Amino acid sequence: MMSEHLQPGQIDAFADHELSPDQARAVQQHIGACHSCSLRVLSTIELKQATVEAGRHLEPSPAMLSRLASQLQQNTISKPRTDARPQPKRVLQFPRANVLWPALAAALLLVAVCLATWNVRRTHNALSAEVLDQHLATLSTAATPQVLSTDRHTVKPWFEGKLPFSFNLPEASALPPNTILKGADLTYLGGHSAALLLFTVGKHQVSVFVSDQSSPGTALSAARSGFSIRSTTAGELRLIAVGDVDPPQLDRLLALLASAQR
Amino acid sequence: MMASIGLQLLMNNSFTIADPVPVASFEQLAVPLLPALLRHALWLTQNQAEAEDLAQESLSKALRAFGSFAPGTNFKAWIFRILRNTFLTTRTAIAATRTTFFEDSEEIETTAATDLTPEETLLQLDNAAAVQQALTQLPPPLRDCLLLCDVEDLKYKEIAGILDLPIGTVMSRISRARAALRAQLLPHFGGRQ
Repeated sequence: MMSEHLQPGQIDAFADHELSPDQARAVQQHIGACHSCSLRVLSTIELKQATVEAGRHLEPSPAMLSRLASQLQQNTISKPRTDARPQPKRVLQFPRANVLWPALAAALLLVAVCLATWNVRRTHNALSAEVLDQHLATLSTAATPQVLSTDRHTVKPWFEGKLPFSFNLPEASALPPNTILKGADLTYLGGHSAALLLFTVGKHQVSVFVSDQSSPGTALSAARSGFSIRSTTAGELRLIAVGDVDPPQLDRLLALLASAQR
Repeated sequence: MMASIGLQLLMNNSFTIADPVPVASFEQLAVPLLPALLRHALWLTQNQAEAEDLAQESLSKALRAFGSFAPGTNFKAWIFRILRNTFLTTRTAIAATRTTFFEDSEEIETTAATDLTPEETLLQLDNAAAVQQALTQLPPPLRDCLLLCDVEDLKYKEIAGILDLPIGTVMSRISRARAALRAQLLPHFGGRQ
């Protein structure tokens, strides 16, 4: 294990996933034992996430995208590849309206489908990264929950007036085996306020985010850096769980929390 | 543009096309990247019309040069390099080159790292407008590196290829960009403490 504090370049490379597995392992071991460096790493990861959000505020308008896609379609129709072997060109007789407009419509449909797919994937990636970053922050020894209690009658009322929605918590006895509610934080997910419920499952930490950003059909199921991320919906609520336990354990916890909302 | 092409086709009542098979893969690769290309063009030019022109010209160049793209390598890095090189020929980029950028002193990052207590390095980052403002105020060479790394999720080596820089310079610029962002955001919010 390295004994000296991490250099800024090492922290950046760690946050950017540029270290070799051995180097990353050494850094992880160090920050597990060094409060100062763990905070610097956390700060860099949070700054990186904030940069992603800020960098994307210059989003091109749909009109710009549409014009660019049309232009690309025109270019690909009219220009051959330079490396393609010379091929005899064919002069085709087409009634223009029969070919051009269906082609353009197909191209625009293709662009719309690609953009929709890309947007869902981008949203999921950004949400996964944000959820994981916040979960990692809760693992720091310096991170104390804003409300520290295993009692649902203490945790739930604490959110009154802080969130634009309400949610229920199951009785401690109804939780899956070895699962304990530790406390909770008020947090923000995708720019919206959310409840962050902190559980221990055996010796593992699990974070569950409760927000009212329900979007049916976009269930989150991902694995990042050894952590599993799962989601479900319950009415208008969206529940996202993250932790280094098996995904079925996260699913069980989410199912229980979802059933408590009914 | 589309209307003029349509008119031309109407007048000719015929047009010449090449075999569409070779170019289909270019479209498949390029279409998902259109938002990212336009976004980066917007950051480079800070002007909507200029960004659109830049993206269009870059795509045309990329299509013409598609034969030089090695399948299996990162198409995004390849086309971003073309975008970058095209930008360097624009009036905005030429004007920007008149501003001297002092390259890669190590002092900024180390100073920023040692002047703060660990708790003070935790920033309040929930004010998106302030972060955007800080990003806008970064020197363009630092901002370009940081955007390619964080927003476009490109590796240091790919960024080095796009910007035609040694990889050490890319790492240094990313580190300095983050230090500069911290320096701008700390007075604004104060540490969390």
